[in-house]
Amino acid sequence: MLRGEFWRHFDFWLLGAVILANAFGIAMIRSAIAGNETLLPQINRQIIYASIGLVVIVIATVLDYRYWSSLDRILYLVTMLFLVILYLSGIARFGSTRWFTVGSILIQPAEIAKLAMIIALADYFARSQDARRDWFWIAKSLLIAGGLMIWILLQPNLSNAIVIMVIWAAMVWVNGLQLKHLAAVIVMVLLAIAAGFPFLQTYQQERVLNFLFPPKSASYGATYNVMQALIALGSGGWFGKGYGHGSQTQLRFMKVRHTDFIFSVIGEEFGLIGAVLTLALLAFIIYRCLRAARLARDPFGSLLAYGVAVLISFQAAVNIAVNLNLMPVSGLPLPFISQGGSGLLSLMFGIGLVESVVVRHRSLEFA
Amino acid sequence: MTTATSPSRFQNWRYGTIYAVIGLVFAIFLSRLFNLQILQGVDWMAKAEKNHTRQISIAPARGIIYDRNGYVLARNIAAYNIVVTPAYLPDDESDIQRIYRELSALTGVPASQGTAADAKLLEACTPGPGIAQWVELGASNAPYDPVKVDCNVGEATAMVVRERAVDWPGVSVEIEPLRDYPTGSLTANVVGFLGPIPANKEQVYRQAGFRPGRDKVGYSGVEASLDDILIGTPGRRVVEVDVAGQELGNLQPPVAPVAGNNLILTIDTRLQDAAQAALVGEIDYWNKIIYGEIRISSGVVIAMNPKTGEILAMVSYPTYENNRMARFIPAYYYEQLSQDPRHPLLNMAISATYPPGSAFKLSTATGALNEGVVTLDQIIDAPGKLTLVEKFSPTDPGKERDYVDWNEAGFGKIDFLHCIAFSSNVCFYKLGGGYEDEIPEGLDIERLKQYARALGYDQPSGVELLGEASGLIPDPAWKRINKGENWSTGDTYIASVGQGYVAATPIQVLMSAATIANNGKLMQPTIIRSVQDGEGNMQEWWWNPADQTVTTTSAGAGSYQISPFTPNVRWDITTDAIIIDYQCEDTYCTDTGLMKTVQPWVVSKIQEGMRLAVLDARGTLHRNTSFLNYPIAVAGKTGTAEYCDDVALDQDRCKWELWPTHAWTVAYAPFDDPEIVIVAFAYNAGEGASVAAPIVKLVMDAYFEIKAIDIAQGLTGGP
Repeated sequence: MLRGEFWRHFDFWLLGAVILANAFGIAMIRSAIAGNETLLPQINRQIIYASIGLVVIVIATVLDYRYWSSLDRILYLVTMLFLVILYLSGIARFGSTRWFTVGSILIQPAEIAKLAMIIALADYFARSQDARRDWFWIAKSLLIAGGLMIWILLQPNLSNAIVIMVIWAAMVWVNGLQLKHLAAVIVMVLLAIAAGFPFLQTYQQERVLNFLFPPKSASYGATYNVMQALIALGSGGWFGKGYGHGSQTQLRFMKVRHTDFIFSVIGEEFGLIGAVLTLALLAFIIYRCLRAARLARDPFGSLLAYGVAVLISFQAAVNIAVNLNLMPVSGLPLPFISQGGSGLLSLMFGIGLVESVVVRHRSLEFA
Repeated sequence: MTTATSPSRFQNWRYGTIYAVIGLVFAIFLSRLFNLQILQGVDWMAKAEKNHTRQISIAPARGIIYDRNGYVLARNIAAYNIVVTPAYLPDDESDIQRIYRELSALTGVPASQGTAADAKLLEACTPGPGIAQWVELGASNAPYDPVKVDCNVGEATAMVVRERAVDWPGVSVEIEPLRDYPTGSLTANVVGFLGPIPANKEQVYRQAGFRPGRDKVGYSGVEASLDDILIGTPGRRVVEVDVAGQELGNLQPPVAPVAGNNLILTIDTRLQDAAQAALVGEIDYWNKIIYGEIRISSGVVIAMNPKTGEILAMVSYPTYENNRMARFIPAYYYEQLSQDPRHPLLNMAISATYPPGSAFKLSTATGALNEGVVTLDQIIDAPGKLTLVEKFSPTDPGKERDYVDWNEAGFGKIDFLHCIAFSSNVCFYKLGGGYEDEIPEGLDIERLKQYARALGYDQPSGVELLGEASGLIPDPAWKRINKGENWSTGDTYIASVGQGYVAATPIQVLMSAATIANNGKLMQPTIIRSVQDGEGNMQEWWWNPADQTVTTTSAGAGSYQISPFTPNVRWDITTDAIIIDYQCEDTYCTDTGLMKTVQPWVVSKIQEGMRLAVLDARGTLHRNTSFLNYPIAVAGKTGTAEYCDDVALDQDRCKWELWPTHAWTVAYAPFDDPEIVIVAFAYNAGEGASVAAPIVKLVMDAYFEIKAIDIAQGLTGGP
């Protein structure tokens, strides 16, 4: 398997783009730390995670992606078990719990759940290629998605629950969802939002309300972070203030600079040019994943690559929209660039899946 | 890569929509980025700049005020505040608690008491909240800004805090400049006091770089009127700060503050002290020994050099203690002062008007002699009372009324000079209003007003102090407008002796005598000798009385130079034609359109009359022993002015023979070459010659004694 021909179809462009994004992210995290001593170890930690991530990509590439199809149920159940335990321990501690601590490493099951979901849904839709696209077909896939989503929602972690639902929606769409069903689903989702809003946590409700109707009197406190991020981004101009010279970043007017608002740091220090190049880099990664989806030799592989592309696209879009004040604050990181361990590793694993699909897109190879 | 080679059975258009959605989202992002970073970039840049730049105003030192001999009247002293900078406190909570405990033991401020919410409602250093609460409040606002925990501590305490700097990180001593008035209440009415920048002027001062809440401005006295000279120019630093407010460095070269200029007043503190002692001593003597009740409630003494206009002493009693306003203006004290019916906050020397009584006869006498109403050798009958017809119009048949003299026995037949010396009311009634064939045509009110104005009445003196009153010399037009009544012949008689509607400030009475003493030259009264910068360099300044501002160049007519000192002649009544000529017939006067002067011999005759008041056995300043056998030739005029104000009305004394009286005396010396003119005024004091004259005498004694001391010490100037 490790013969030269194996790597013939390996997407070096995708790997290169991902490494570039990681390296750029580490550089920006270093700038965004802005001398905060408690955050300083995050740089090395991110370098370690990125390195592990590269190993994960290689391993995932070497493993035939079709094994995941058979491991699908085990993976799904184990993930659910993690989430349930997490939920129960959260109740015991009277608060929200989103990760397990293993030594000094935090494991966030929600990140694993996203990939488990992609695999599970890809498997389901691949197997039901010939089924009728009826309500039963939709309901069964929804059940698979909901089985994990509900525990994430209960953490409570609304953003990642939405990510799961978006992956499901994108999957069911590309697999031939009928338009009449789509219309019905949209109505149901809107009803669910209207009915579900009162059950959101107070802070989540406030975030949404603050975004939709910015309170004039409380503009300083409630919208402080968003406002500071906008000032940072807006003051970047064409070319930015230079690496390590953004006043909003370096003087710490902006909060959560190295995670939620790293895009604003890029915008402040590298200007419009830097922001557009970052967008282009992400767009290229998404494009390479979608390309793999088109090349895949079977529906399962195709749906895997497609799911990973949707995951990256959606997280990137939400994060950037928050930075541009087009959406309320969500807490979703910018793929490959924001600081974060589990999230990065699961994305790297996703890229590995895509590579695994793309290297095997021809069943027979005649050199 | 075509669908033919792809085994997946997904419809192309479904993929297409995914591409389209992603493409659309990225297009929205691009346009939004362009809009934010390029189109609105300047606005966001300005916001970013504002975030991390802070302008810091550096307070300038206020100018020092000296008296004419270099004695300090106002200076800046250091007040020590103990401050805690939350960001520099140690990390360990137990260390912080130890510091609070030790600091509490030193200062007496509790280590912890109440809540930070209580502290929020209070001015810094107000007793109540503990150290921990003050710091907690400060830390939540700006952790790098020092928080005051104890204000105005002793120097010893401040030293202890400095010595323990190593043990107490975060605790330091802040030095706050405080205005100090070594002479306190003695010069409070002249020097004044400071207060916070008022809200309505906040914008102006902020623009000039001052910081409301920290910097103070003058509220009264020269501190207020010459604030622009004293206040200095604030320095400025533009620094970069981070989100916690920590200063990271200068963004622009700092501009150092320029200290205010020093002010040298014409006041001689020694004479001021003597004048206050004389006034208060005399008031106490009369109240305690003679009247047996607090009858004389207030008084004024002003001493001036008639040749230069320099005011050597200006006492207004009662006054206030300006040192009590040094840190802040205490509400209870201010309340007490402002509700006191004796008006201690008012400088009564320039801001209060009273009837001048007989002291005003100088105006009537000057006018009558200059207009030929009377001749020097004319003998006037001066009985104890005069029965005259009061008419409100020429056709009014009139009503007979008695006009009495203060001396019921009368003075018999006397000449003009003795009219002044004896202060005969009947004589002056006749001069002012005319009397049968004896004085066929009196001076009349229109002409009297002209001469009074020439001597300084009816207008502010223009001295460099705020809130000056202009006084009043009535005329028929004024009476018709303000009283709704015609001018009567009786009004003229009464105005001729400085009663009725005539009102004057003590400084106006002083100026009238000073003008006579100085041979008709009215000198601009001033309390400023010079203005010097911090290095002692003389500066040029002008005072503009019209809008009460100072300028570094002449601001045109009316303004006069206050530094370097130059005696300013406002006018010379013997050479400047400032008197409007009236032709009078049967009490009706018409403006001839001509202007005239006072003949010099008239002025010297008035001087002689004033001298006679001291020399003649029946002279008003001779009768009591004040100036009897006085070694220096003194000339003067007394006044006993009947009045009716709200206090007298309350006591039901505004009635015939019950009128309360103010006591006046104005005198100058030496007669031949006058160098000092003094006015004394005592409210509700009784007779001028009895109460006010002794005050003038005591101040004059002090003046010549101080002069002798100065000459003995080789100081040429004297006071």
